[in-house]
Amino acid sequence: MSAGIIDIDYVKYACTCGLLKTLQQLYFCRYCSELRCSFCVSHEVDSHFCGKCCENLPSPEARVKKNRCVNCFICPSCHHELSTRIASKQPATPEEAKATKRTYYLSCLCCRWSSRDIGLPDQTSATGSWPKRKTFMQDKEFFKRKQKEKIISYTDKTGITAASLRKRIGLPEDKPILKLKNAVKMVTPSIAQEDIDDFDEEVLTKSINLLEITSIDQRLLQPDVQPVEMNMIFPVQKMLSIKRSLRCRSCEHNVSKPEYNPNSIKFKIQLFAFYHIPEIRIVTVQPLRAGVPAELLIKFTNPTQHQTTISFLPFDTPIEIKESTAEVGGSKGEDDTSDLDKSLPLMKVIPSGAKVMALVDSHLNMSRSSARMVTPRPLDVSINCDVEIPSSTFILPPRDDAAEYDDFNEAHNIQDDKKLVIWRKSNKAFIKLIVTPKEDTSIGTVITAGFTMSHLYTNTITSVAENKKPQKFNHNIKLILDLGKSVGSE
Amino acid sequence: MSDIKMSRNSIKVMPGALVCEESKLRGDITIGKDCIVHPMATIIAEAAPIIIGENCLIEEQASIIYRVPFDKVEDKDNIPPLKIGSFNVFEVGCVVEAASIGNNNVFEAKCFVGNKVTVTNGCTIGAGCHLTEEQELKENIIIYGSNCQMREGLSKPMPQYSQMDTLMKILPNYHHIRKPSVKGK
Ligand SMILES: [Zn+2]
Ligand SMILES: [Zn+2]
Ligand SMILES: [Zn+2]
Ligand SMILES: [Zn+2]
Repeated sequence: MSAGIIDIDYVKYACTCGLLKTLQQLYFCRYCSELRCSFCVSHEVDSHFCGKCCENLPSPEARVKKNRCVNCFICPSCHHELSTRIASKQPATPEEAKATKRTYYLSCLCCRWSSRDIGLPDQTSATGSWPKRKTFMQDKEFFKRKQKEKIISYTDKTGITAASLRKRIGLPEDKPILKLKNAVKMVTPSIAQEDIDDFDEEVLTKSINLLEITSIDQRLLQPDVQPVEMNMIFPVQKMLSIKRSLRCRSCEHNVSKPEYNPNSIKFKIQLFAFYHIPEIRIVTVQPLRAGVPAELLIKFTNPTQHQTTISFLPFDTPIEIKESTAEVGGSKGEDDTSDLDKSLPLMKVIPSGAKVMALVDSHLNMSRSSARMVTPRPLDVSINCDVEIPSSTFILPPRDDAAEYDDFNEAHNIQDDKKLVIWRKSNKAFIKLIVTPKEDTSIGTVITAGFTMSHLYTNTITSVAENKKPQKFNHNIKLILDLGKSVGSE
Repeated sequence: MSDIKMSRNSIKVMPGALVCEESKLRGDITIGKDCIVHPMATIIAEAAPIIIGENCLIEEQASIIYRVPFDKVEDKDNIPPLKIGSFNVFEVGCVVEAASIGNNNVFEAKCFVGNKVTVTNGCTIGAGCHLTEEQELKENIIIYGSNCQMREGLSKPMPQYSQMDTLMKILPNYHHIRKPSVKGK
């Protein structure tokens, strides 16, 4: 999403895990009916592909090819992609023209570097025949040794590192055991010497030609060689890109899944919170003075196809675990864990890495269903402004794309609390709230207000599968609004 | 630019050159054989005459401006003409105020070359690169990237013959063309 136009961080939504995010950064799992951010979904590699030739590679093949494309190269001089050009050398004699076929070379359209710059001979075929520089990875012995010590890696499937896994299940950190035999040798301090063998005095006297020396970027592009001079750089095989799918850790359903075809930028599943949760934007706020009530206008937009009712609750309302969530989310945890956490202000527990845990749990002789639950972290925000919570609620009609073009669609028979709803059109409404910055706030401090929004959510996911009526329930979200700095006179 | 100089427009177009009538030409300008000047190109000979060599391509929105060289502000009446060599390409939207331009140079789209810069032969100034400091670009130098990195090319850039041929055929179909005028007329 274009940051700055849509993704404005004045209004933040508290994710189920306790992190504060903008609506555009959040996902909404329809099976758990919970918000999920990038920190509480598991990231999985869906497919590997080359961004230049759009070739798809299965992941074992990508691994064998070291996650690089065989046919595409990037410029060792400026990191742009190299294009294959047909050599335009005219044959000297007609006989030569018959004998020689077309030849190709690599050329960069950005910095005009070409494979001829380092003296690579032109190739007779466009792809596949480019000489590769031998590196230690191509050492057969090294490879054989590596294959012997095959390790089953969970990290491939889950994107979680071994270290974080150990931490999660409470094992001690995986530190290499120091053997006494390999005790650190004492270092002899170096002594300054007047005469040095093989010292090339030209280093000090000869002026350097910067055009012949590589830059740090160019050296680090080839970390195995780290060329010092420009004639040592070599075309680099292009790194593959990945398509990534995101999975809810609680119910293992996807919240984001791209289409397999590398040419497509569409998604098979894309459960943005943006499509399910009412969007809130600050319209205007009166000057904020410590202890003085000010009017705050905010705009609510209903993105769904269902009518919703919105009510306001105080900020510190505990968000409870819903019955429906436990029902739908298959591998939700045992209730005993959540009982323990009842004392905490936020009573909800979120599962973390359910899928991974299931794998580990089998080692620990625990049942698969007991996914480890983690209490959400406390919200990292200090509220310095009271919000007068309105007792009345208001209705937001469903989204209607055609209404945008319809000027006469003003007739709505919604009975509104005129003190709460200032203006409304189609699925949008302007709401007036009274906010009072706390008495002791000094001038120039950023005023942060918060409240809990309760909106009626219509879940259609079960109705499709089981031919039932869509489920309707109230979904509570904590919102944090950045109202700008306080003003006033000393 | 003063109005007095504006009135002294003297445009000489060599036979074979294709100069669109809408192009903005001010001052004493000589356009060499087989050059192409697009309709929205600008050439301003403010300080002294501009002489453009053969086979130059001056694209849309490109401007070539010859201001008083910074080291000759004192001696305004004795400024030598700006000689631009052959086979130079001025791409879309470039602004070139260079003090001297040799042969076979490419000024890529939206680049800027200040009047303290001397461009020799076979240089490429990359898209969007701004050169303002006093310097002389050696032969076959390539400037590229957002930080104006510099590297030395193997050879001079290839002249775009096929593109020039196409433009020679197409442009007269849609634009009024200045008639070539023999020098000294
Ligand atoms: Zn989260
Ligand atoms: Zn490729
Ligand atoms: Zn390059
Ligand atoms: Zn879920």
